[in-house]
Amino acid sequence: MLSTFEIIFRYKEALLKGLSVTLELCAIIWVIGIVLGIVFGYLGYKFKNGVGSPLKIISFVLAGIPILVLLFWFYYPAQTILQVNIAPFLVTIFVLSIINIVAVADLTRNALSNFPKEYVLAAKVCGLSPKDTFLRIEFPIVLRQILPGLLNIQVYILQISIFASLISVEEIFRVAQQINSQIYQPVEIYSSLAIFFLIVCLPLNGLAMWLKYKFTRDISEK
Amino acid sequence: MLTSKSITKKYQGIEILRGIDVSIEPGKITTLIGPSGAGKTTLLRVLSFLEQPDSGEISIDSNKYKFPLKSNELINPPWPNVSIVFQQLFLWPHLTIRENILLPLRVKNINRDAELNKFIDMFNMADFIDNYPNQASIGQRQRAAIVRALMLHPTYLLLDEITSSLDVEQVDIILSHLNAVRDSGVGILIVTHLINFAEKVSDNIIFMDSGQILEKGGKEILENPTHPRVKKFLSIVKSVS
Repeated sequence: MLSTFEIIFRYKEALLKGLSVTLELCAIIWVIGIVLGIVFGYLGYKFKNGVGSPLKIISFVLAGIPILVLLFWFYYPAQTILQVNIAPFLVTIFVLSIINIVAVADLTRNALSNFPKEYVLAAKVCGLSPKDTFLRIEFPIVLRQILPGLLNIQVYILQISIFASLISVEEIFRVAQQINSQIYQPVEIYSSLAIFFLIVCLPLNGLAMWLKYKFTRDISEK
Repeated sequence: MLTSKSITKKYQGIEILRGIDVSIEPGKITTLIGPSGAGKTTLLRVLSFLEQPDSGEISIDSNKYKFPLKSNELINPPWPNVSIVFQQLFLWPHLTIRENILLPLRVKNINRDAELNKFIDMFNMADFIDNYPNQASIGQRQRAAIVRALMLHPTYLLLDEITSSLDVEQVDIILSHLNAVRDSGVGILIVTHLINFAEKVSDNIIFMDSGQILEKGGKEILENPTHPRVKKFLSIVKSVS
């Protein structure tokens, strides 16, 4: 019978390899989600009918479908219908990126919709160009507003990345399952998995808290 | 000269401005008084080109615009040559008060730090100049918003209820400074409820109610108003104060 730490030590190479796959997967999804999410959020705000409404519908649909179902659907039936063979790693990136993009776009669009127009008016009468108004007034204020939510979404993406194991992506949860099938010590193995997730999530949450402290102080006027 | 001729403006079918004629002369202070809902703030927004009137004419020096504009006609933005300080101030919340004042200058690579130091002394702003707007009192924010506008050296300055949250001392400071600004050739239009302030600072006074100008003239209209509505309003103000 191995303890949690003995399991981590004995299977460290496999676990670290799994962790590296998880982090690679998440890094790609984070970048795609944040960049395209902000772009689509902005477009959704600017073009309410053309982009904003379809985004709302997609967001509503995605909220109602379990992630696992989406992953399975894109991995099995969709590939059969389209007669293509796509690696599970790429399918996971595709599905989780869509979830990330839609969530970030929602957040951005809401922040822009609720942005006090008076700040833009003040910029206008002070002679700021539209570009300076966006870069120095709108963007910094909106970024401060969405930052905590944005980081929460990325932590959520990290957590749901374990579903990738169910379509055979060799990420850390799948590695843990494989170790378990060999030594059958689920409590210790999944505890070691929890430790790995904590190691990744703690700095992320720490970063979120630091950014929140630094940039999202209460700016409302009393 | 900043002038409007026969300006009209409707919101949701309600007439807010009905044929307004005003002139703001360089080097003169014009005060706009009247009850709430008279259309004073709307007039300021129209004169500062933040909103377009439905009909009428606005001229800024040699630029003349007739409304409604022709389909291909564009307005040459008058800001910050025409600058406005809003009643709600609208300081940018993510910047300190100093940054709020300097940002419009810094984006144009203009350095007026020495002038800002004079304003800091003049308006007693040293204690809060590096605070964020939400760390400052309403009176402090009001002074900051005025200084932000003054630092841009406008030719015409429109001020909406800028004294509403200031104590008597601060009103006096602003009064003396507005006189100095006026003497430098800036045309100023002030919306105020303070009749004493209007009496001290004004070269011209306009009384508005229900979107119309009921009376205009020199300071004498405060002492001897001719329009019954103005008489009634001023008597109420005097009895309350």
